[in-house]
Amino acid sequence: MEEWYGYTGNILRVDLERGKIVVEELNRTWSKLYIGGLGFASKVMWDEELPKLHPLSKESLLIATAGPMTGTLAPGSGNIFWAFKSPQTGFWGETRSGGKFGAFMKYSGFDMIIIRGRSERPVYLYLEGCKAEIRDATHLWGMTVHEATNAIKEEAGAKEVSVAAIGPAGENLVRYASIINDYDRAAGRSGGGAVMGSKHLKAIAASGGCGIKVYDPERFLSLCYEAQRAITSDSGNKAMGMHGTIGGVMSLNAMGGLPTQNFRTGYFENAYRVSSDTLERNYMIKRRACHSCVIGCSRYSYVSSGKYATPPNEGPEYETVDMAGPMVLNDNMEAIIRFNYLANNYGMDTITLGHTISWAIEAYKLGMINENDTGGLKLSWNDADMLLTLVDMIAYRRGFGDLLAEGSYAASKKIGRGTEELVNHVKGLELPAHDPRVESKFLAIQYAIGPRGACHEHPIYPSYDLMGVDAGMREVGLPWPLPDRLEEVGVNRGKAYRIIALFGEVINSMGYCNFYAATVAKGSLNPSRIARLYSSLTGIEMNAREIFEVAERTWNIKRAFNLREGLEKAHDSLPKRMVTPVLSGPSKGLKVERPNELVEETYEAFGWDKETGYIKESTLQRLSLREVLEGLKRIGKVV
Amino acid sequence: MVKVLMVIPDRCTGCGRCEEACSLYHFNVIDPLLSAIHVVRIENEPVDAPVFCIQCGLCGIPGICPENAIYRDPNTFSVIIDRDRCTGCGNCVAVCPYGMITIDRIERKAIKCDLCGGDPQCVKACPEKALVYAEAEDVAYYKRVFFAKLQRKELVPIVPYPSPKPAGDG
Repeated sequence: MEEWYGYTGNILRVDLERGKIVVEELNRTWSKLYIGGLGFASKVMWDEELPKLHPLSKESLLIATAGPMTGTLAPGSGNIFWAFKSPQTGFWGETRSGGKFGAFMKYSGFDMIIIRGRSERPVYLYLEGCKAEIRDATHLWGMTVHEATNAIKEEAGAKEVSVAAIGPAGENLVRYASIINDYDRAAGRSGGGAVMGSKHLKAIAASGGCGIKVYDPERFLSLCYEAQRAITSDSGNKAMGMHGTIGGVMSLNAMGGLPTQNFRTGYFENAYRVSSDTLERNYMIKRRACHSCVIGCSRYSYVSSGKYATPPNEGPEYETVDMAGPMVLNDNMEAIIRFNYLANNYGMDTITLGHTISWAIEAYKLGMINENDTGGLKLSWNDADMLLTLVDMIAYRRGFGDLLAEGSYAASKKIGRGTEELVNHVKGLELPAHDPRVESKFLAIQYAIGPRGACHEHPIYPSYDLMGVDAGMREVGLPWPLPDRLEEVGVNRGKAYRIIALFGEVINSMGYCNFYAATVAKGSLNPSRIARLYSSLTGIEMNAREIFEVAERTWNIKRAFNLREGLEKAHDSLPKRMVTPVLSGPSKGLKVERPNELVEETYEAFGWDKETGYIKESTLQRLSLREVLEGLKRIGKVV
Repeated sequence: MVKVLMVIPDRCTGCGRCEEACSLYHFNVIDPLLSAIHVVRIENEPVDAPVFCIQCGLCGIPGICPENAIYRDPNTFSVIIDRDRCTGCGNCVAVCPYGMITIDRIERKAIKCDLCGGDPQCVKACPEKALVYAEAEDVAYYKRVFFAKLQRKELVPIVPYPSPKPAGDG
């Protein structure tokens, strides 16, 4: 048998319905066609997920997948990716998390785990030494993430174990429940936790015992050291390590891009109270890093006493700070830390959680929701106690929390009365804390057409015009210089976004973290550096252009998946508030003009039809996606 | 002068790169279980600690290794286990006070830090410079500071040493 390098070469298939486990060898042609990570997942989801299936039905798939670089010395490679059909959007669902679970899954011997079926009683999956076993989890059901993780570690005994688990929110099928690994690292968005909960799968524990072989150890080692030196000496990366993502609060606020009060404005006058300065000075214990990361942006913080006392835990990140802070006009940092801790421990996406609460408050203030709906609860801005009460109510679906557990999009559909107008979503996924009106029009494009809905990180954080860096994408055809960040159509934005999005696909397939593509070429995992690392690790020769071709393939498979699920051009549109001017602050009056033209320009760049958003036959042929072409032809969605 | 491997504890972020580099350098495989350095991360406590062999030589004391396979390298001063002679009996594992020797699952032989022959890879792989390979005399200074700091608060047990009797008494 030929050896696998970089890859473990094993795929684990778990059928929870029948309690069956099968280990399959990875298809050798897949490495060149799809690379790995979400690339593999897109292939499996297209081939095996039944069309129009309810995301929480027992036949639906849940895929845990790591890239070839995951678990290796390549900087920033310690990631786990999950793919499934999103219970929030009904479309493609993907999510990423750091920590060490991805690496440990590979050390346990698996590149990918494909889970289907629903177990009768709660179970967890235990991986060790290229073997897997389904274990009873009846005693873990109902536990929070921290409790369950502690219990599983205790059962494993004198071993290093990494655990990915769901909390009560996942068990209660909160639509935006997340999968949390290593206590606090969240694969947050799109509702993977609900999918896991619907399968009665409480956790996956990985304890290693296999290791990853390297094709050319000497060359790989020296390339890793070289990359490490370049990345750690870059000033942008240094700042990210020093202040974390929350470092963005003050600078975004200064430009009016700190989403506040359900995106009504982009300026929060008490921003300093929720800034990195405040966190570092009063609550932060130390910095932490995910597996194999040389940046180390994670904060480790706590609140020692008072009514928001919180044990040490990772976070909060910028997104959480904004969603539990400015978005609900809360300026109490201690409450934000507590919010973050609770959301992680219950296993919920902090972005949708905070955003949904923000939506509810606005609707309440406008009289669209009243106390009959809330069960007597009075909703108001800047009320930290109410915020934390709602977190509990949502995780356990108590009272008004039951409605909010559906997310603002589904909740507004139920309630009506004009609340739909206040929902900031694309395809059903709420906007994260980056405002495309202010930051960059690339964000507007990504929010509109991104396969999982409005997201600033999938496939990539695209505000390269704001950052003024290219991360080495010029070598694969990124037009440079980029247009001014506020210019919209007719400036090759579509063409530029194509390269940017494909770079994101590369990163998600390889197993890297997006933060390694946010600086100048030298200090980034630029395309040619990625190609060199990949070749020396796996022994499979690929250059930067070939890797980008793979990216285009996986990107189009995801599009095709969504088309098969019923995606139309109308789904690729921004919420009303993005075409409404910002109300106040430094960015007052800014909005996204002619979003439809932005989207159409991008369709053309990707080789999609301008009128319908369907993929053109010629594009699929160029990428040799014959099966996808046939599948789309059957439903008449190819042009 | 001989160099010594040392850690600056508060710098570690727990990324585990040292483990990866160690196993890759020695076994051409990336696997923390084959590493001689271990990063102990306790997620729900503020603990990210690289722990490694301090080359004390206790395992090399005559009578412990039945194969006499443990010796001190005259160049690096590291204590080395000759894997060709090792039978994996585990005696060295038993005497190591710090749990720094393991028996690998493949060849059933002892794994122990050999300072990579004077070019420790863990130091190169550490992005935070939490691991340093420095002159022995400098390290001795920092060791003194380290042990002094351990005596702050109640982290070190109070030794019930008899208080001196007043002069001229009895």
